[in-house]
Amino acid sequence: MAVTILLIAAAVVSHGIDEEAKFPYWQIEDRGVSVRLVQRLPDQTRGYFQARGFSIGDADLIAQQCVFQTIFKNARSQITESGPIHYSLREWVVYTHGREQGLKTREDWRKEWKARKAPAAAQLAFEWSLLPTQQVYQPGDYNWGMSVFNLAPGSTFDLDVIWHQGDEKRVVRIRDIRCAPDERRDPEAQ
Amino acid sequence: MTHRACVVTALFGIFLGLTALDLLAAERQGAQTLPVLSPPMAAPDFVLTGEDGKRYRLSDYRGQVVVVNFWATWCPPCRYEMPAMERAHQKLKDEKIVLLAVNVGEDEESVFAFTGQYPVTFPLLLDRDGTVVKQYPVIGLPTTFVIDPHGNVTYRAVGGREWDDEALLNQLRQLLNRSAL
Repeated sequence: MAVTILLIAAAVVSHGIDEEAKFPYWQIEDRGVSVRLVQRLPDQTRGYFQARGFSIGDADLIAQQCVFQTIFKNARSQITESGPIHYSLREWVVYTHGREQGLKTREDWRKEWKARKAPAAAQLAFEWSLLPTQQVYQPGDYNWGMSVFNLAPGSTFDLDVIWHQGDEKRVVRIRDIRCAPDERRDPEAQ
Repeated sequence: MTHRACVVTALFGIFLGLTALDLLAAERQGAQTLPVLSPPMAAPDFVLTGEDGKRYRLSDYRGQVVVVNFWATWCPPCRYEMPAMERAHQKLKDEKIVLLAVNVGEDEESVFAFTGQYPVTFPLLLDRDGTVVKQYPVIGLPTTFVIDPHGNVTYRAVGGREWDDEALLNQLRQLLNRSAL
Protein backbone atom coordinates (compact mmCIF):
# COMPACT_ATOMS: atom_id res chain seq x y z
CA MET A 1 0.00 0.00 0.00
CA ALA A 2 1.39 3.40 -0.94
CA VAL A 3 1.94 5.80 1.93
CA THR A 4 1.87 9.52 1.33
CA ILE A 5 3.71 11.76 3.76
CA LEU A 6 2.05 15.14 4.16
CA LEU A 7 4.48 17.94 4.77
CA ILE A 8 3.34 21.43 5.66
CA ALA A 9 6.43 22.89 4.14
CA ALA A 10 8.59 25.56 5.74
CA ALA A 11 9.14 27.19 2.40
CA VAL A 12 10.37 30.68 1.66
CA VAL A 13 7.38 32.80 0.69
CA SER A 14 8.14 36.21 -0.72
CA HIS A 15 6.21 39.16 -2.09
CA GLY A 16 7.38 42.02 -4.26
CA ILE A 17 7.13 43.65 -7.65
CA ASP A 18 7.82 41.47 -10.68
CA GLU A 19 10.78 42.94 -12.57
CA GLU A 20 9.25 42.36 -15.98
CA ALA A 21 5.50 42.77 -15.49
CA LYS A 22 5.93 45.62 -12.96
CA PHE A 23 3.04 44.19 -10.94
CA PRO A 24 2.99 42.53 -7.51
CA TYR A 25 4.00 38.91 -7.19
CA TRP A 26 3.81 36.25 -4.49
CA GLN A 27 6.36 33.45 -4.65
CA ILE A 28 7.22 30.14 -3.01
CA GLU A 29 10.68 28.60 -3.10
CA ASP A 30 11.08 25.20 -1.57
CA ARG A 31 13.82 22.68 -2.27
CA GLY A 32 14.20 23.45 -5.95
CA VAL A 33 10.52 24.11 -6.60
CA SER A 34 9.45 27.63 -7.35
CA VAL A 35 5.92 28.94 -7.87
CA ARG A 36 5.36 32.61 -8.66
CA LEU A 37 1.95 34.27 -9.04
CA VAL A 38 2.06 37.64 -10.78
CA GLN A 39 -0.98 39.93 -10.68
CA ARG A 40 -2.64 40.70 -14.01
CA LEU A 41 -4.82 43.75 -14.49
CA PRO A 42 -8.35 43.01 -15.71
CA ASP A 43 -7.69 45.40 -18.62
CA GLN A 44 -4.63 43.38 -19.64
CA THR A 45 -6.67 40.20 -19.60
CA ARG A 46 -9.54 41.77 -21.53
CA GLY A 47 -7.16 43.04 -24.23
CA TYR A 48 -5.28 39.76 -24.40
CA PHE A 49 -8.37 37.63 -24.94
CA GLN A 50 -10.07 40.05 -27.32
CA ALA A 51 -6.91 39.80 -29.44
CA ARG A 52 -7.29 36.00 -29.38
CA GLY A 53 -10.81 36.20 -30.88
CA PHE A 54 -13.13 36.41 -27.86
CA SER A 55 -16.07 38.80 -27.85
CA ILE A 56 -15.88 41.82 -25.54
CA GLY A 57 -18.37 40.11 -23.21
CA ASP A 58 -16.46 36.83 -23.05
CA ALA A 59 -13.11 38.56 -22.53
CA ASP A 60 -14.67 40.60 -19.73
CA LEU A 61 -16.04 37.43 -18.13
CA ILE A 62 -12.48 36.09 -17.77
CA ALA A 63 -11.04 39.45 -16.70
CA GLN A 64 -13.56 39.76 -13.85
CA GLN A 65 -12.48 36.51 -12.16
CA CYS A 66 -9.04 37.38 -10.74
CA VAL A 67 -6.34 36.19 -13.11
CA PHE A 68 -2.67 35.71 -12.22
CA GLN A 69 0.24 34.80 -14.44
CA THR A 70 1.72 31.72 -12.79
CA ILE A 71 5.18 30.29 -13.25
CA PHE A 72 5.68 26.81 -11.81
CA LYS A 73 9.22 25.54 -12.10
CA ASN A 74 11.27 22.52 -11.13
CA ALA A 75 14.59 24.31 -10.91
CA ARG A 76 16.57 21.23 -9.96
CA SER A 77 19.27 20.33 -12.42
CA GLN A 78 19.40 16.61 -11.69
CA ILE A 79 16.95 13.77 -11.27
CA THR A 80 16.53 12.78 -7.65
CA GLU A 81 15.53 9.41 -6.22
CA SER A 82 12.06 10.67 -5.43
CA GLY A 83 11.42 11.38 -9.12
CA PRO A 84 9.60 14.19 -10.86
CA ILE A 85 7.34 16.79 -9.30
CA HIS A 86 3.66 16.71 -10.10
CA TYR A 87 0.66 18.82 -9.16
CA SER A 88 -3.05 19.09 -9.77
CA LEU A 89 -4.73 22.47 -9.52
CA ARG A 90 -7.83 20.65 -8.30
CA GLU A 91 -6.02 20.09 -4.98
CA TRP A 92 -5.18 23.75 -4.45
CA VAL A 93 -7.39 25.56 -1.94
CA VAL A 94 -8.42 29.22 -1.99
CA TYR A 95 -9.46 30.71 1.39
CA THR A 96 -11.49 33.87 1.27
CA HIS A 97 -13.97 35.39 3.76
CA GLY A 98 -14.22 32.14 5.72
CA ARG A 99 -14.95 30.08 2.62
CA GLU A 100 -12.88 27.51 0.78
CA GLN A 101 -13.00 27.11 -2.98
CA GLY A 102 -10.97 25.79 -5.89
CA LEU A 103 -9.46 27.39 -8.96
CA LYS A 104 -11.35 27.52 -12.23
CA THR A 105 -9.56 25.10 -14.54
CA ARG A 106 -9.39 24.53 -18.29
CA GLU A 107 -12.03 21.83 -17.96
CA ASP A 108 -14.43 24.12 -16.07
CA TRP A 109 -14.03 26.79 -18.76
CA ARG A 110 -14.45 24.32 -21.62
CA LYS A 111 -18.06 23.73 -20.61
CA GLU A 112 -18.66 27.46 -20.30
CA TRP A 113 -17.20 28.27 -23.74
CA LYS A 114 -19.26 25.54 -25.33
CA ALA A 115 -22.43 27.00 -23.83
CA ARG A 116 -21.43 30.53 -24.88
CA LYS A 117 -20.45 29.36 -28.39
CA ALA A 118 -17.00 30.98 -28.26
CA PRO A 119 -15.03 30.69 -31.54
CA ALA A 120 -12.92 27.52 -31.82
CA ALA A 121 -9.65 29.42 -32.40
CA ALA A 122 -10.29 31.55 -29.29
CA GLN A 123 -11.02 28.44 -27.21
CA LEU A 124 -7.78 26.85 -28.41
CA ALA A 125 -5.75 29.93 -27.46
CA PHE A 126 -7.54 30.09 -24.10
CA GLU A 127 -6.74 26.49 -23.22
CA TRP A 128 -3.06 26.88 -23.99
CA SER A 129 -2.91 30.20 -22.14
CA LEU A 130 -4.02 28.68 -18.83
CA LEU A 131 -1.65 26.91 -16.46
CA PRO A 132 -2.19 23.17 -17.07
CA THR A 133 -4.65 21.60 -14.64
CA GLN A 134 -2.17 18.81 -13.98
CA GLN A 135 1.47 18.61 -14.90
CA VAL A 136 4.62 16.59 -14.27
CA TYR A 137 7.96 18.38 -14.14
CA GLN A 138 11.31 16.72 -14.62
CA PRO A 139 14.35 18.74 -13.53
CA GLY A 140 14.55 21.93 -15.58
CA ASP A 141 10.90 21.79 -16.67
CA TYR A 142 8.48 24.65 -16.09
CA ASN A 143 5.31 26.29 -17.36
CA TRP A 144 3.97 29.78 -17.52
CA GLY A 145 0.22 30.08 -17.61
CA MET A 146 -2.70 32.05 -16.31
CA SER A 147 -4.54 30.82 -13.26
CA VAL A 148 -8.09 31.94 -12.58
CA PHE A 149 -9.27 32.23 -8.97
CA ASN A 150 -12.94 32.91 -9.56
CA LEU A 151 -12.93 35.97 -7.26
CA ALA A 152 -13.95 39.57 -7.81
CA PRO A 153 -11.27 42.14 -8.75
CA GLY A 154 -9.61 43.58 -5.63
CA SER A 155 -10.36 40.49 -3.48
CA THR A 156 -7.76 39.14 -1.08
CA PHE A 157 -7.26 35.47 -0.36
CA ASP A 158 -4.93 32.82 1.05
CA LEU A 159 -3.85 29.94 -1.13
CA ASP A 160 -2.62 26.43 -0.39
CA VAL A 161 -0.20 25.48 -3.15
CA ILE A 162 0.18 21.71 -3.25
CA TRP A 163 2.50 19.43 -5.16
CA HIS A 164 3.85 15.91 -4.87
CA GLN A 165 7.25 14.34 -5.21
CA GLY A 166 7.55 10.61 -4.69
CA ASP A 167 5.64 9.77 -1.52
CA GLU A 168 5.66 13.35 -0.25
CA LYS A 169 2.82 15.79 -0.52
CA ARG A 170 4.02 19.36 0.01
CA VAL A 171 1.62 22.07 1.11
CA VAL A 172 2.62 25.73 1.29
CA ARG A 173 0.18 28.47 2.23
CA ILE A 174 0.59 31.93 0.73
CA ARG A 175 -1.27 34.56 2.71
CA ASP A 176 -2.91 37.82 1.67
CA ILE A 177 -2.70 37.51 -2.08
CA ARG A 178 -4.55 40.36 -3.73
CA CYS A 179 -6.38 40.27 -7.04
CA ALA A 180 -5.77 43.38 -9.12
CA PRO A 181 -8.60 45.92 -8.93
CA ASP A 182 -10.57 46.71 -12.06
CA GLU A 183 -9.64 50.33 -12.56
CA ARG A 184 -11.91 50.70 -15.57
CA ARG A 185 -14.93 49.80 -13.48
CA ASP A 186 -13.74 51.29 -10.23
CA PRO A 187 -11.45 54.25 -10.95
CA GLU A 188 -11.20 55.05 -7.23
CA ALA A 189 -9.62 51.68 -6.48
CA GLN A 190 -5.89 51.72 -6.28
CA MET B 1 24.77 66.12 -28.74
CA THR B 2 25.52 65.32 -32.38
CA HIS B 3 23.21 63.11 -34.43
CA ARG B 4 25.83 60.36 -34.42
CA ALA B 5 26.23 60.53 -30.64
CA CYS B 6 22.45 60.29 -30.26
CA VAL B 7 22.35 57.19 -32.46
CA VAL B 8 25.24 55.55 -30.56
CA THR B 9 23.58 56.35 -27.22
CA ALA B 10 20.24 54.95 -28.43
CA LEU B 11 21.88 51.74 -29.74
CA PHE B 12 23.75 51.31 -26.47
CA GLY B 13 20.48 51.75 -24.58
CA ILE B 14 18.78 49.13 -26.76
CA PHE B 15 21.74 46.77 -26.21
CA LEU B 16 21.52 47.21 -22.44
CA GLY B 17 17.75 46.68 -22.53
CA LEU B 18 18.02 43.49 -24.58
CA THR B 19 20.84 42.19 -22.37
CA ALA B 20 18.71 42.81 -19.30
CA LEU B 21 15.78 40.97 -20.93
CA ASP B 22 18.05 38.05 -21.87
CA LEU B 23 19.32 37.82 -18.29
CA LEU B 24 15.77 37.99 -16.96
CA ALA B 25 14.64 35.30 -19.38
CA ALA B 26 17.57 33.06 -18.44
CA GLU B 27 16.77 33.53 -14.75
CA ARG B 28 13.13 32.63 -15.37
CA GLN B 29 14.08 29.45 -17.19
CA GLY B 30 14.90 26.30 -15.30
CA ALA B 31 18.11 24.30 -15.47
CA GLN B 32 19.32 23.36 -18.96
CA THR B 33 18.19 19.75 -19.00
CA LEU B 34 16.78 17.43 -21.63
CA PRO B 35 14.74 14.80 -19.76
CA VAL B 36 14.20 11.35 -21.23
CA LEU B 37 10.61 10.70 -22.30
CA SER B 38 9.37 7.72 -20.35
CA PRO B 39 8.00 5.57 -21.84
CA PRO B 40 9.40 6.45 -25.29
CA MET B 41 6.94 6.58 -28.18
CA ALA B 42 6.95 6.45 -31.96
CA ALA B 43 6.66 10.03 -33.20
CA PRO B 44 3.23 10.58 -34.80
CA ASP B 45 3.84 11.61 -38.40
CA PHE B 46 2.40 14.87 -39.69
CA VAL B 47 2.29 17.06 -42.76
CA LEU B 48 2.02 20.78 -42.13
CA THR B 49 2.37 23.93 -44.19
CA GLY B 50 5.13 26.27 -43.17
CA GLU B 51 4.91 30.03 -42.79
CA ASP B 52 7.03 30.01 -46.00
CA GLY B 53 4.20 28.22 -47.88
CA LYS B 54 6.12 24.90 -48.21
CA ARG B 55 4.76 21.53 -47.03
CA TYR B 56 6.75 19.68 -44.37
CA ARG B 57 6.35 15.98 -43.57
CA LEU B 58 8.02 14.76 -40.38
CA SER B 59 8.86 11.30 -41.79
CA ASP B 60 10.89 12.94 -44.58
CA TYR B 61 13.51 13.64 -41.91
CA ARG B 62 14.03 9.95 -41.03
CA GLY B 63 17.77 9.33 -40.54
CA GLN B 64 18.21 12.70 -38.83
CA VAL B 65 17.61 13.95 -35.31
CA VAL B 66 14.54 16.21 -35.33
CA VAL B 67 13.78 18.75 -32.63
CA VAL B 68 10.05 19.52 -32.74
CA ASN B 69 9.06 22.59 -30.74
CA PHE B 70 5.38 23.41 -30.06
CA TRP B 71 4.93 27.13 -29.45
CA ALA B 72 2.74 30.23 -29.85
CA THR B 73 3.59 33.88 -30.42
CA TRP B 74 1.71 35.00 -27.27
CA CYS B 75 3.61 32.61 -24.97
CA PRO B 76 6.47 34.44 -23.19
CA PRO B 77 8.85 31.49 -22.68
CA CYS B 78 8.26 30.47 -26.32
CA ARG B 79 9.45 33.90 -27.41
CA TYR B 80 12.41 33.84 -25.03
CA GLU B 81 13.77 30.58 -26.39
CA MET B 82 13.46 31.45 -30.10
CA PRO B 83 16.79 33.32 -30.39
CA ALA B 84 18.56 30.39 -28.66
CA MET B 85 16.86 27.98 -31.09
CA GLU B 86 18.11 30.04 -34.00
CA ARG B 87 21.65 30.02 -32.60
CA ALA B 88 21.38 26.24 -32.13
CA HIS B 89 20.14 25.88 -35.72
CA GLN B 90 23.13 27.83 -36.99
CA LYS B 91 25.50 25.54 -35.08
CA LEU B 92 23.75 22.31 -36.13
CA LYS B 93 22.59 22.89 -39.69
CA ASP B 94 25.40 20.83 -41.23
CA GLU B 95 25.04 17.96 -38.74
CA LYS B 96 21.84 16.10 -39.68
CA ILE B 97 20.04 17.69 -36.74
CA VAL B 98 17.02 19.79 -37.73
CA LEU B 99 14.63 22.07 -35.86
CA LEU B 100 10.94 22.36 -36.69
CA ALA B 101 8.89 24.86 -34.70
CA VAL B 102 5.16 24.08 -34.83
CA ASN B 103 2.98 27.08 -34.07
CA VAL B 104 -0.26 26.10 -32.33
CA GLY B 105 -3.51 27.75 -33.34
CA GLU B 106 -2.39 30.93 -35.08
CA ASP B 107 -2.45 32.14 -38.68
CA GLU B 108 0.29 33.04 -41.17
CA GLU B 109 -0.05 36.77 -40.48
CA SER B 110 0.57 36.39 -36.74
CA VAL B 111 3.60 34.18 -37.32
CA PHE B 112 4.92 36.42 -40.09
CA ALA B 113 4.62 39.46 -37.80
CA PHE B 114 6.43 37.52 -35.07
CA THR B 115 9.39 36.82 -37.38
CA GLY B 116 9.83 40.56 -37.78
CA GLN B 117 10.83 40.72 -34.13
CA TYR B 118 12.36 37.26 -33.84
CA PRO B 119 13.92 36.38 -37.20
CA VAL B 120 14.66 32.66 -37.56
CA THR B 121 15.86 30.57 -40.50
CA PHE B 122 14.49 27.16 -39.48
CA PRO B 123 10.97 26.13 -40.58
CA LEU B 124 7.96 27.54 -38.71
CA LEU B 125 5.01 25.21 -39.31
CA LEU B 126 1.35 26.05 -38.81
CA ASP B 127 -0.90 23.73 -36.80
CA ARG B 128 -3.90 26.02 -37.20
CA ASP B 129 -6.55 23.83 -35.59
CA GLY B 130 -4.29 22.10 -33.06
CA THR B 131 -4.65 18.67 -34.69
CA VAL B 132 -0.94 17.80 -34.53
CA VAL B 133 -0.26 19.06 -31.01
CA LYS B 134 -3.05 16.78 -29.73
CA GLN B 135 -1.15 13.74 -31.00
CA TYR B 136 1.83 14.50 -28.78
CA PRO B 137 1.97 14.52 -24.96
CA VAL B 138 1.82 18.30 -24.69
CA ILE B 139 0.10 19.89 -21.70
CA GLY B 140 1.63 23.37 -21.78
CA LEU B 141 3.56 25.54 -24.24
CA PRO B 142 6.35 25.49 -25.11
CA THR B 143 7.03 21.77 -25.16
CA THR B 144 9.83 20.35 -27.27
CA PHE B 145 10.44 16.77 -28.37
CA VAL B 146 13.63 15.24 -29.67
CA ILE B 147 13.05 12.50 -32.23
CA ASP B 148 15.85 10.06 -33.01
CA PRO B 149 16.82 9.03 -36.57
CA HIS B 150 14.54 5.98 -36.32
CA GLY B 151 11.47 8.13 -35.63
CA ASN B 152 11.21 7.59 -31.86
CA VAL B 153 10.57 10.41 -29.42
CA THR B 154 13.39 10.15 -26.90
CA TYR B 155 13.46 13.42 -24.98
CA ARG B 156 10.86 15.96 -23.90
CA ALA B 157 11.52 19.45 -22.52
CA VAL B 158 8.56 21.19 -20.84
CA GLY B 159 9.16 24.95 -20.86
CA GLY B 160 11.88 26.83 -22.71
CA ARG B 161 15.56 26.04 -22.84
CA GLU B 162 18.77 27.73 -23.89
CA TRP B 163 19.00 25.49 -26.93
CA ASP B 164 22.50 26.58 -27.90
CA ASP B 165 23.85 25.41 -24.55
CA GLU B 166 26.75 23.09 -25.42
CA ALA B 167 25.57 20.36 -23.05
CA LEU B 168 22.19 20.25 -24.82
CA LEU B 169 23.78 20.31 -28.26
CA ASN B 170 26.08 17.45 -27.28
CA GLN B 171 23.08 15.44 -26.09
CA LEU B 172 21.56 15.84 -29.57
CA ARG B 173 24.86 14.91 -31.25
CA GLN B 174 25.21 11.83 -29.05
CA LEU B 175 21.71 10.72 -30.04
CA LEU B 176 22.68 11.03 -33.71
CA ASN B 177 25.95 9.15 -33.19
CA ARG B 178 24.32 6.38 -31.13
CA SER B 179 21.74 5.81 -33.82
CA ALA B 180 24.45 5.52 -36.47
CA LEU B 181 26.08 2.55 -34.66
